Amino acid sequence: MLEHLWFPHDISTFGPQVDWLFLLIFWITVITWAAVMIAMVVFLFQYRHRPGRKAEYIEGNSRLEIFWTTATAVIMIALATLSKSTWAEIKENGPPGQVFYKVTAKQFNWEITYPDPDGNFGPKALTVENEMHVPVNKVVRFDLTSKDVIHSFFVPNMRLKQDAVPGRTIHVWFEAKEPGTYEIPCAELCGFGHSGMQGTLTVESEADFQKWLKDQYANQ
Amino acid sequence: MSSTAAVAVHGAHGEHHELSFWRTYIFSEDHKMIGRQFLFVALFMMSIGGLMAMLMRLDLAWPDTQFSFLKILPQSLQQDSAITANTYNAEFTMHATIMIFFVVMPILVGCFGNFLIPLMIGARDMAFPKLNMLSFWVSAVAGVIMMSSFWVPGGPAAAGWTSYAPLSAVPLYTGVDWGQNLWCISIIVLGVGSLMGSINYITTIINMRTKGMTFFRLPLVIWSLFITAILLLLALPVLTTALALLLFDRMAGTHFFLPAGGGEPLLWQHLFWFFGHPEVYIMILPGMGIASELIATFSRKPIFGYRAMAYAMAAIAFLSWIVWGHHMFQSGMDPALGQGFMLTTMVIAVPSAIKTFNWLGTLYKGDIHYTSAMLNALSFVAMFVIGGLSGIFMACTPVDMYIHDTYFIVAHIHYVLFGGSLFAVFGGIVYWFPKMFGRMMNETLAKVHFWITFVAFNCTFFPMHILGMGGHMRRIYNPTQYDFLKPLEPVNMFISISAFVLGAAQFLLLANMIWSYYKGEKATENPWHANTLEWSAPSPPGHGNWPGPVPVVYRGPYEYSSPESAEDYLPQWQPVEHATAAD
Amino acid sequence: MTATTAKVRPILAAQRRGGYRDGGGDEREQQFIPSGLLAVLMLIASEMMLFSGLIGSFLIFRMSAPFWPPPSLPHLPIQVTWVNTFVLLGSAGTMYLAVRAVHQNRQRLLRQWLVVTLVLGVLFLGIQGSEWVRLVAHGLTLRSGNYGGTFYVLIGCHGAHVTAAVIWLAAVTAVAVRGRYNARNAAGVERIAAYWYFVCAIWPVLFVLVYLM
Repeated sequence: MLEHLWFPHDISTFGPQVDWLFLLIFWITVITWAAVMIAMVVFLFQYRHRPGRKAEYIEGNSRLEIFWTTATAVIMIALATLSKSTWAEIKENGPPGQVFYKVTAKQFNWEITYPDPDGNFGPKALTVENEMHVPVNKVVRFDLTSKDVIHSFFVPNMRLKQDAVPGRTIHVWFEAKEPGTYEIPCAELCGFGHSGMQGTLTVESEADFQKWLKDQYANQ
Repeated sequence: MSSTAAVAVHGAHGEHHELSFWRTYIFSEDHKMIGRQFLFVALFMMSIGGLMAMLMRLDLAWPDTQFSFLKILPQSLQQDSAITANTYNAEFTMHATIMIFFVVMPILVGCFGNFLIPLMIGARDMAFPKLNMLSFWVSAVAGVIMMSSFWVPGGPAAAGWTSYAPLSAVPLYTGVDWGQNLWCISIIVLGVGSLMGSINYITTIINMRTKGMTFFRLPLVIWSLFITAILLLLALPVLTTALALLLFDRMAGTHFFLPAGGGEPLLWQHLFWFFGHPEVYIMILPGMGIASELIATFSRKPIFGYRAMAYAMAAIAFLSWIVWGHHMFQSGMDPALGQGFMLTTMVIAVPSAIKTFNWLGTLYKGDIHYTSAMLNALSFVAMFVIGGLSGIFMACTPVDMYIHDTYFIVAHIHYVLFGGSLFAVFGGIVYWFPKMFGRMMNETLAKVHFWITFVAFNCTFFPMHILGMGGHMRRIYNPTQYDFLKPLEPVNMFISISAFVLGAAQFLLLANMIWSYYKGEKATENPWHANTLEWSAPSPPGHGNWPGPVPVVYRGPYEYSSPESAEDYLPQWQPVEHATAAD
Repeated sequence: MTATTAKVRPILAAQRRGGYRDGGGDEREQQFIPSGLLAVLMLIASEMMLFSGLIGSFLIFRMSAPFWPPPSLPHLPIQVTWVNTFVLLGSAGTMYLAVRAVHQNRQRLLRQWLVVTLVLGVLFLGIQGSEWVRLVAHGLTLRSGNYGGTFYVLIGCHGAHVTAAVIWLAAVTAVAVRGRYNARNAAGVERIAAYWYFVCAIWPVLFVLVYLM
């Protein structure tokens, strides 16, 4: 449905939850909007000025005020409650990681650091600019930070966005469901090179991923 | 009645002998003249801010293209006749800065606030006329400082109107040196001007009301300006704090926002948005007030739920202090805090909904006159509904994760600020023009302006929702650099063409104002048959507003179609209970 | 019409003073607080937000710092500042006595307490200034990390406010010396008093947060 609404194809595990909430709000707002507009247009037509017409003297209606105040409040609080768990899963808790990286933003590139073959981020760790390769169906966790200004790690195909803040390390996770190549633009204004700052995310099978990693280490 | 108006017009001339040209037009202490000054300056700034928008749209439709006509612009806005990454950043920064601080705030608060408050509460002037004059001139100096930054080396500020640190804190990061300093200084100075204005407004509304004008007989536009002034009074100092710290970082070598020296980049965002969210309501509340006046007058009906409307505005003002974190969901702020801010933000939809439903209730069983002022007010409601509803998407934290910093946000703020505030401004200008200048605006031209603006506005900003849903980031000067955005380029093209129409249509408003100022039909005292107190004064009111004693108020501001009157209106100043209206 | 204009000006002046009864018949809703004092109270509210922003920023740095002050930097002079705190709080007391004097119409007493308040205010600024000179000599400057930065910005902001209040008070004292204030015309004294209380009241908060905590 959403892809008809111009959304990029979703490849993350939490994407469907985000899209579901989007659709939920979409329908709530569309229905509300339609109701208000229909009422407005009907009133505008029905009660247009004609010679001899006099408006009815109505100062208000407390029961109606109470009704729409309560109704709006209930819908809004319900929406906030419904969104809580998705947000908590994406940004607060999430599943344990299976692959670990470090991502450091700088003007105007993403530095992706892969652990050395022993799984440590020591001197032998591999740093590649703008190329993020991840195995499919694995929980990827990375520490996101920045060297200079604030950037924002954005993968439209995963609905994932997280600012990279200098002096702060932020833990991010995702799990990609489909192999392919996707873009990682920077979403926070970071200077004159902001437009065009992007990396590529390559989601591939475990075997392809290991092969790529091995080649990278060999070339190092 | 018309003879009084004529006398008043002559009176304005008569004063020339008493007050010099300088005291009448330049350093005037008359609230009406100061209001007009704010209007003219803001309309001038609007043309500059609009130009910035046109340049951005030109670039987004044809990125990296040379246009020879761009050569006439200063070097800070074009390089080799093309809009580059550098100049584009300066353009959107200055567009937002100018439109927010030098157009919407000066018109809504400076112009309408100054012009309407004494007239509508029955005072002869503001509580502190000298302070009022100072407020205008301090703001004007701020404007000059801001404009001067176009010509300094390195160009004007280019870190966005939000000026997130550290980008804004180190000249090297943007390549902008004095431009950003001047930006900070200008807004600090503007803050001082606004402080003077808001102190004046609050004092005037509390202390200068005419006899009978109790708080719950105040027109809603006065309520909105009162609440806005309180927000200004309390929000701007926080921005001043942030700007001062930023200036220290830039010029004195401190590290408040620079992590290298132990600083905290998110501190800027907290301070900025603690100011910034009340600021959003500063810009929409007076619009709501104006729309309420216009809708009641032209529906010939009392505003539906007057007290609910006033309380809703107070609720919005209160809640606006505890929602600032919704700008920072993806900023690295503790996500648990995000949950709280999501809830408060959702709750702020409630008073907004109350207002919308009450405007609808006002139309119900009314006697609706389709003047151009009314059309603008109705479109305020319709556009505010879209802008308000689209806000729910970003209040929801997981959805915000996707649409944050995309064109969805750009669409949202423009539906609120242009669709909301500016349509209210257009409506307000047509409605109060006769009182301000003594002549009616040309109704046909005003309607043409409205319809072109309305259509072009929606063609410009509605498709931005689509861009946002496609993931189109804000503040990028060349979307064709991204594969996933290439299919959206036709949408960008369409938006740009609509934007040019929208920009061009605003010349109709200016033309109408200038033409009507000289050739418009002479206005009577109360051309709209409205109830509020400003319509009891001559058009335009002379010095001191009323030639005789200040009128006394007998009832609320919206007694339209009251059974007590044979006419469909019953002005606040009408003394006899069962009399017909004077005209 | 010139006649109307001429009539309007005294009315405007009367409206500003709050005496609409003398203002050509204009009637107004009751005022509970004079406009001038109300304006000062709002100025104070606005200033409190300014200080809240600075104090909030200070607390963020203070709470996240492992060492405060950082090992290489000097401690703040607490004993002298205790004395200074009493000087400033004392000036609030003398200001109160001045307000009482003007309400009792006692001119000599008014002048006396205004001058004492003024002297105490200047004394406070003098002590602060000399302490700043000593701190700078010991190596604590605006650039000494956020310890130095917040100290100078926060305390400097307060100092600027005291300076402004002292200038204002000097002007009020000059008017008082000419005997212009009395029990019915005390607004000028009440306004500076409100502002003076504010700069005095905010100081203990800063003292506790910046010096003692």
